[in-house]
Order: sequence, then structure tokens, then C-alpha cells
Amino acid sequence: MVPSSYYLALAAILFSIGLFGVVSKRNILIVFMCIELMLNAANLTFLAFARQSGNMAGHAIAFFVIAVAAAEAAVGLAIVIAIYRTRGTLHMDEVRVLRD
Amino acid sequence: MNFPTQDFAALAPVGILSGGALILLLSEVFLASTRRGYQASLTVLFSILAAVAAAGGGSPGVIFNGQATVDAFSTFVTVIVCAGLALSALVGAGWLRARQAERGEFYALALFGASGMALLGSATDLLFAFISIEVMSISTYALAAYIRRGKKPAEAAFKYFILGSFSSALLLYGTALVYGAAGSTLFAEIGRAQGPLLVVGLGLVAVGLSFKVAAVPFHVWTPDVYEGAPTPVTAFMAAGVKTAAFAVLTRLALVAFQATPASAANSFAWVLAALALVSMLFGNWLALTQRSVKRMLAYSSIAHAGYLLVGVVAAAAAGAREAALSSILFYLASYTATVVGAFAVVAVLERRGRSLDEEPADAWDLERFAGLGRKRPGLAFAMAVFMVSLAGVPPTAGFIGKLLVFQAAISAHAYGLAVVGMLTSALGAYYYLRVVVYMYMRPAEDREIGLISPAIQVALALAVVAVIVLGVGPETVSKLARAAAAIGM
Repeated sequence: MVPSSYYLALAAILFSIGLFGVVSKRNILIVFMCIELMLNAANLTFLAFARQSGNMAGHAIAFFVIAVAAAEAAVGLAIVIAIYRTRGTLHMDEVRVLRD
Repeated sequence: MNFPTQDFAALAPVGILSGGALILLLSEVFLASTRRGYQASLTVLFSILAAVAAAGGGSPGVIFNGQATVDAFSTFVTVIVCAGLALSALVGAGWLRARQAERGEFYALALFGASGMALLGSATDLLFAFISIEVMSISTYALAAYIRRGKKPAEAAFKYFILGSFSSALLLYGTALVYGAAGSTLFAEIGRAQGPLLVVGLGLVAVGLSFKVAAVPFHVWTPDVYEGAPTPVTAFMAAGVKTAAFAVLTRLALVAFQATPASAANSFAWVLAALALVSMLFGNWLALTQRSVKRMLAYSSIAHAGYLLVGVVAAAAAGAREAALSSILFYLASYTATVVGAFAVVAVLERRGRSLDEEPADAWDLERFAGLGRKRPGLAFAMAVFMVSLAGVPPTAGFIGKLLVFQAAISAHAYGLAVVGMLTSALGAYYYLRVVVYMYMRPAEDREIGLISPAIQVALALAVVAVIVLGVGPETVSKLARAAAAIGM
């Protein structure tokens, strides 16, 4: 059996990749995917802790998070489409009408 | 795990708000009429009903096995949120009709958002808080993108969405770590746990919430989103999102302040104090140079988050806790009335292009306010009241709010924060009063101002009355706020 600390480490790595991607990537869709990666890293952490301690709440939480992430993706993709329609590009640096 | 019926009954205000949203959505499907004036009135009706249900529902206390607590604190927050929703809906009615964009979705989304905010006020569980935050945020992302003409709303919604969901992800990962340390996400259980995992987890949760309340250095999204979003939505965000996020931040901070060992609790208070300090300094500093009044109000909302954080820090001292909590609640009530009113004036004066698609660059420039005192004395007077209240000058609600917060800070021996707060308030008076100077002492720019719709007039009148009543006779509300502050005892 794979020890749960391995899962925790994997989740931490996934979370860091997502965090790094959000900060450094310039394509809107990739940034969006990185945020999803961070949410799933949190899910994996919940599951690993739940298995470690035998506490079932973590499993239930993961389902709630999946539902919330789906709702968020629906609105997020709609906004991405709105951006693409008004500008014809998904590059972050082109999205800058609003600034000081 | 089963939930008794009275637990659901305790959340009646939330039920009313989301039920109202569904009714408005269905009305859009089944009523073919193009007359939509009733929608704003319905929204106001539902928010009044929800506020009455909250106020009349008493305090059943802990519900859903500890995941939420309906007490005087959550009731107070719900009433503030409903007031903010009602005022913003009235502003929205006039604003949207002028742009031929009035539809049921707008009010439905606002009602859904408000139901998330009301839930957040009673959250005593990290997962419950996360889901409430998402209910609130997803509605506001959609509201920010509500106007589909032009580039600005989509861009504002995009920036809000990216940083909002990023902060939610931080909050969720923090929740996962806390769950690992405490074996539960209930606030009551978190307080008993300890260890480095708990500290890191709570830290990430705090960062996530700092994004939501727009505290420096997590404020970068605020000016762009507040500027680009439709003005009534900006008003709703500034009032509702801030109130709800501060409600949950306060509850969570009370848990963290009682953490063991005491050094962990102290470091948490220090971090919050640092956030308060930089928010007050940078928020006011950045607002100084803004010519766009809408952007200036966005920066000023960062500064007000700083003042509110001073109240949260003051709650760390057990002796000052009641005063601090009641000051936060009073401040939130006064800020809601003031900021929605100020954005209502901004919405009236907004410069519009010749066609509906055009987005003039200087839509909210200070010049728009020049000579308003002569042309529109009523509107100018209302704006003057709001500016004076934001600056914290008596006899307005903003003055009493600041007074209570700084008093709490002094009784918690946080003298430095109180002094910085007072000095930065003086700095803030400069840019708030500059608007007043433009209105009364500058010659009018040659331009027309469209008719102010009756709905906005009602909203402005209500906001002015609230600001002045809270400023002249604050006893009633501050007594209620003190009663609501009992959660930390």
C-alpha cells in the first residue's frame, strides 16, 4: 500500500505547479487550467488525510469541491468566451483596457 | 447524520433570497412583457422579507451539527447585506433601463449572491464558508460581466474571476491542511488543534480571505474590477462582498486568537495588524492621485478594509473584544449605506457615448462633478453627505464608525494602529473633500445630465437618511451591534 504521505507530497507538488502557472503563464486558458489544478490538489489532500485518519468527512468534502469547481468552470469559461469575442485573443497582455 | 427541520427554518432568510431569485428567473421565461419595472421592486420586496425574517427569527444558535451558527451576529450581517442588496437593486433599475439592459437575470444573480453572503455571516465551518464564498463569488463574477457591450465589463469580470478563484483555491488548500491537523473543518474543533500544519493552513485561509476583503497586498484586482464592472454591481460588491467576507474573517480570527500555543495566536494578530497598516497607508495613498471618482472609491474601499482590520486586530485582546466586534458591525452598516449612495451618484453622472457600445475614457472624471451644486443641488448635497461620511467627519455615520473602531483599538492597547488610522483618515479627507470642492466651487462643465430615475432618487434618499441618522443618533444601532458582539464571549 502506498503511504498517504506520498499522496500529500504529490498534492503539494500539484498545488505548487498550479500556483506557479497562475503567476507566470500568459494564456488565459492555461491560467484557468492551473486554477483547476490547485483545486484538485486540495481535493487530493482531503482524501489523503481522510484515508490517513479513517475520518470519512474528507471524502464527502471532495464531492462538494468537485461540484463547486464545475459551477466555477461554467461561469469562468463563459467569461473567457466574452473576452475572446471582444478582442479576438486570449493573451493576458492584450487584456488591459483598465489600468491607472 | 440527520438535520432537524428547525435548522432549515433558521436559514429562512437565505431561502427567501434564493426563492426570490428563482421567481425572477422564471418570470423572465414565462412573462413575455417587455415592461420590467416590477423586477427591481420584487428584489427590494424579497430583501425586505429576508431582513424581517432574519430579525424576527431570533437566535436558534448552533445548527447543522456546528457547521453554522444563527445568532445576533449573523442576523446583523444578514440585515446589512439585505439593505445593500435593496439599495443596489434600486440603483440598478435606473442604470440598466437607461442602457436598455434590464433583465431578470441581473436581479436573480444579485439575490443568489446575497444568499451566499447571508450564509457566510453564519458560517462556523471552513467547508461551509468555502461553499458560501463560492455562491457569493460566482454570482458576482457573472454580474460583473453582465453588460456584454464594450470591452471593460468582460475584462473586469475576467480579472475578478482569475484572482477570485485563485484566492478560493488558496483558501481550499488551507482548509485541507487544517482538516489534516484538526481532523475536522468545524471552527470549534480547529480551536482545539495545534501544530505547524494548522498554522500554515490557517495562514492560507487568511490569505484567501484577504483577497476577498481587498486588503493590501492582495488588492491588485480591486481598482480594475470596481472600475470595469457596471456601477450598480460595483456598489453591491463594495457593500455586500466586503460585509460578508469580514463577517467570516472575524469569526475565524476569534478562533485563531484563542489558539494554543499563545505565540501562534499572537503571530496571527501581528499579521492582521500588518495587513491593516499597509491597507490604510496604501489605500489612501493610491486614492490621492485618482481623477476618476469611481477608481478613487475603489482605492478608498481598500483603505476602509484597513480600518475594519484594525477592529479585527482589536478583538484579539479579550478585554476589548465586545467593543471591537460591535465597532466592526457598526462600521459595516455605515459603510454599506455610504458607499452604495456614493456609487449611485457616480452611476447618475456617468458619461455615456453617443451609441450604446461606446465607452468614453473619462466617464467618471472629476470634471463631471464640476458645478453640480448649482445644477443639481439635491444630488450634490447627497454626494457631499457621502463624501463627508467616507472621510469620517461628524455628524455622519462614517465618523461614528471610525470613532468606535479606534476606541476599540485604544482599549486593546493597539495605539500605533489607532494613530495611523487617524492620520490616514486625515489624508483621505483630502481626496473626498476634493469632490465636494469640485461640486460647489468649480464652474459647470457644459453638459447635460439625464433625468434621474425615481428608483435612484429613492435609493439616494434612503442612503442619505441612513448616513445622517446613524451619525446623529447612533444609539439604537450601536446597541444592536453590542448585542450582536456576544459571539466572542
